Amino acid sequence: MDRRIFMGAAAALGAATVSRAALAGLPEAVQQRSAATQPPLAPTGGVPYNPVVTLNGWTLPWRMNDGWKEFHLVAEPVEREIAPGMVARLWGYNGQSPGPTIECVEGDRVRIFVTNRLPEHTTIHWHGLLLPNGMDGVGGLTQPQIQPGKTFVYEFVMRKSGTFMYHPHADEMVQMAMGMMGAIVVHPKDPSLHRADRDYVFLLAAYDIDPGSFVPRVNTMLEFNLWTWNSRAFPGIDPLVCAVGETLRVRVGNLTMTNHPMHLHGCEMFVTGTDGGWVPPAVRWPEVSVDMPVGAMRAIDVRFDDPGDWAFHCHKSHHTMGPMGHRVPAMMGVDQSDLVERIRRLVPGYMAMGEAGMAEMGEMQMPLPENTLPMMTGEGPFGPLEMGGMFTVVKVRDGLARGDYRDPGWYQHPAGTVAYEWTGPVAEPQRPPGAPPDAGAAHVQVRKPGGHGSHH
Amino acid sequence: MNHLSKRIVRLPALAAAALLLALAGCAGLGREAGFDAMASAAAQRVGATPAWPRDDAGRQRVDDEVAQLLAQTLTADDAVQVAVLQNPALQAVYGQLGVAEAELLQAGRLPNPRFRTTRTASEESFKYETALTLPLGALLTLPAVLGMEQRRFEAVRLQVTDRVLAVAADTREAWVAAVAAQQELHYLEQVREAAEASAVLAQRMARVGHFSQLDQLREQAYLADARVQLGRARGAALAAHERLMRLLGVDNPVRVRLPERLPELPPQPGEDGELERFALGQRLDVQAAKADAAATARALGLSRAIGMVNTLELGPARLAEQGEPLKRGYEVSVEIPIFDWGGARVARAQAVYLQAAARVGETAVNARSEVRESAAAWREAWALARQYRDEIVPLRRRISEQNWLRYNGMLISVFELLADAREQVNAAQGSIGALRDYWLAEARLRRALGGRLPAGAVAEAVPAAAAASTGRLVRRED
Repeated sequence: MDRRIFMGAAAALGAATVSRAALAGLPEAVQQRSAATQPPLAPTGGVPYNPVVTLNGWTLPWRMNDGWKEFHLVAEPVEREIAPGMVARLWGYNGQSPGPTIECVEGDRVRIFVTNRLPEHTTIHWHGLLLPNGMDGVGGLTQPQIQPGKTFVYEFVMRKSGTFMYHPHADEMVQMAMGMMGAIVVHPKDPSLHRADRDYVFLLAAYDIDPGSFVPRVNTMLEFNLWTWNSRAFPGIDPLVCAVGETLRVRVGNLTMTNHPMHLHGCEMFVTGTDGGWVPPAVRWPEVSVDMPVGAMRAIDVRFDDPGDWAFHCHKSHHTMGPMGHRVPAMMGVDQSDLVERIRRLVPGYMAMGEAGMAEMGEMQMPLPENTLPMMTGEGPFGPLEMGGMFTVVKVRDGLARGDYRDPGWYQHPAGTVAYEWTGPVAEPQRPPGAPPDAGAAHVQVRKPGGHGSHH
Repeated sequence: MNHLSKRIVRLPALAAAALLLALAGCAGLGREAGFDAMASAAAQRVGATPAWPRDDAGRQRVDDEVAQLLAQTLTADDAVQVAVLQNPALQAVYGQLGVAEAELLQAGRLPNPRFRTTRTASEESFKYETALTLPLGALLTLPAVLGMEQRRFEAVRLQVTDRVLAVAADTREAWVAAVAAQQELHYLEQVREAAEASAVLAQRMARVGHFSQLDQLREQAYLADARVQLGRARGAALAAHERLMRLLGVDNPVRVRLPERLPELPPQPGEDGELERFALGQRLDVQAAKADAAATARALGLSRAIGMVNTLELGPARLAEQGEPLKRGYEVSVEIPIFDWGGARVARAQAVYLQAAARVGETAVNARSEVRESAAAWREAWALARQYRDEIVPLRRRISEQNWLRYNGMLISVFELLADAREQVNAAQGSIGALRDYWLAEARLRRALGGRLPAGAVAEAVPAAAAASTGRLVRRED
């Protein structure tokens, strides 16, 4: 009865253009302007749960309305800081891309208002949720598309707990290439099940934003140049923080066009859940790289015995790089010293790069095209990190207070626990008789770094 | 017999005295007077004074002046001055003027009278017969011959002035072409240099194993192509330089130092209307036609001018209104007097005179059309050169800046950077071409105007500043 009245109101609203006054009957469409990780949204009543932390994101507030958890998503153009120094003009929800995480509890009745402020129609598909077919959000198949200016209502019951996501199913290629996506976390009705001490969630997204431009090229299929976690790239991705001995859960969804071996140093990882449900403990196996298939989600549980700053990244090394020229030839071993002056006469300020490798790219930061991240960057306590894209650090410390997600800074290594330089004599390697004296250098004349005796 | 002889002497003496007086008044001739008049007419039009040395001292003075002009970087104006001083063809033409002048002087002189004494002796007496004889025929034809020679001399004087203007215009154009060719050569050398750096790098890349043979051969082909282009441009620059040397009459090209670049594009050119009026006042062909009409009038014995007619308005409709002043508000005009046709010879005289008047009109109409044509071309060339200077070259420079940033980010390689440098040089080269075309169009406009530009037609050309517009790839250093 109540519901029918509400639906009628919503339909009437949908006919009008969306304005603050017109939306007065709907839950507030909360906006988020920051790309920083927001504090988790603790439940104020009902079933208690440990709220998720959306990496460089936030959780959508809701209101209770006669037993329904009501959310309001607004699909709209947004500006997203990919990393300091770069802003992307994307499409997202409620001011950011990805949209806010929708968090609820198994058995909740949820009503989600979706207002379309995009220039074209859209829908939302609730990836992985079990719901009535008419709520599945496939434009043209299970519902008419939501036209610009209209608001639609989705209503369903969260039948099972787990890790899910939402994304458009209308002009899907374009809208996902533009950054429209968000995570859904459904906690078990029984708080003792599938417990984790810290619970992070993020989505993998790839963009192709030409250096110097702002909007992704939506027709790119594979040659992306920005590999992001929650539309953030290193060094814009916040660290994950946890205490030694805690159970850290990392929920990841992959909305890129390729797989990503998620590699976390310093621990064993277990996939405890997928977007299909929880994995029975008996069939879990330990891994150090969990492959993320396309269009899939994984909940990965880990426990660290050793404190430290543990690297966490996609193991495709090109995915831990910023934008680069894939057709740029390597220059290793090509002496340019006598040419630099001549080239400078034509290209003032020319500097020869890449003669020894590309590490110098990470060391010196040179002026780049507008709104462009360096191919590799970042500075760690021991030197340049030479990273980009899908890379961050899990900071594991002893005795962190529960719920303290603040960045603890760089790890202070106890004396004698860091690799160190050997300063004694190094014997020439033993080579089999008849081998050329410098066989290693015969194929590629890599210039050996001076002063270091060891290489293979 | 004696008195007869006396009479013979007396008559021609009086006539000759009268004639000589008349001659002295009419031609204003003296040695070099004709050349000086021509020289000043030419100087007024091309801004350079011709010289025609006929002795060692004069030759020395010219040599000194040329040496002084060639001692510094040669501007277009200086080149014109050198040409009118020592262009060999002009020197020959000056000689022609001298010949015509001498012939005119000769024609104005009476043949020498001959004095003859005859002694006739018989046995008883002898007689001296003294006679002073003058060629009476020459005396009678002298005015006609003098008139003919006068006209011939005038014609030669105009021809010579015209040749001076032509050589001045040719020299100006040759100067522009030579400087531009030199400048283009400079850019093609940069292209060659870029291609060379690319090729050397590619060779090293292949040696180490980064490049395939194909990649390396491509760069080498670029280089070969750049070298060919440079060779061609060298030939063209040499030809342009030598053409200028010929016009300057310089036998040792090493003596001539041309500026490294063309003068900068001047600010906005002026309006056309003024140019046409200016041309009609300055052009020799218009003046010659007017002089011819005046001579015709004199020959017809027309003396009483009753008004002026604008030859640009002559036409069948206007002929009916002969005698009416036809000036009404016409801005550009070429006027000649019209006469009282009274008397029996009316029809013929009128027809003959109007024929000459129509020729004045034809010359003036053609002159105006030529001015409009060359002024339009000049304006067009100016707009194009400005577009190159203000739009294309800066755009290329900004593209290079962006490419440089991309190189910093390892988004492109040094090969793309060098290819871009070649593109930028091409734009700079196009800009030089456009600037050259502007200065050539300006020289042609001068020619159409009859020598020089009116003051204020355009602001003075600024010699290219040494640093500001080197065309080198200027980029801010971050």
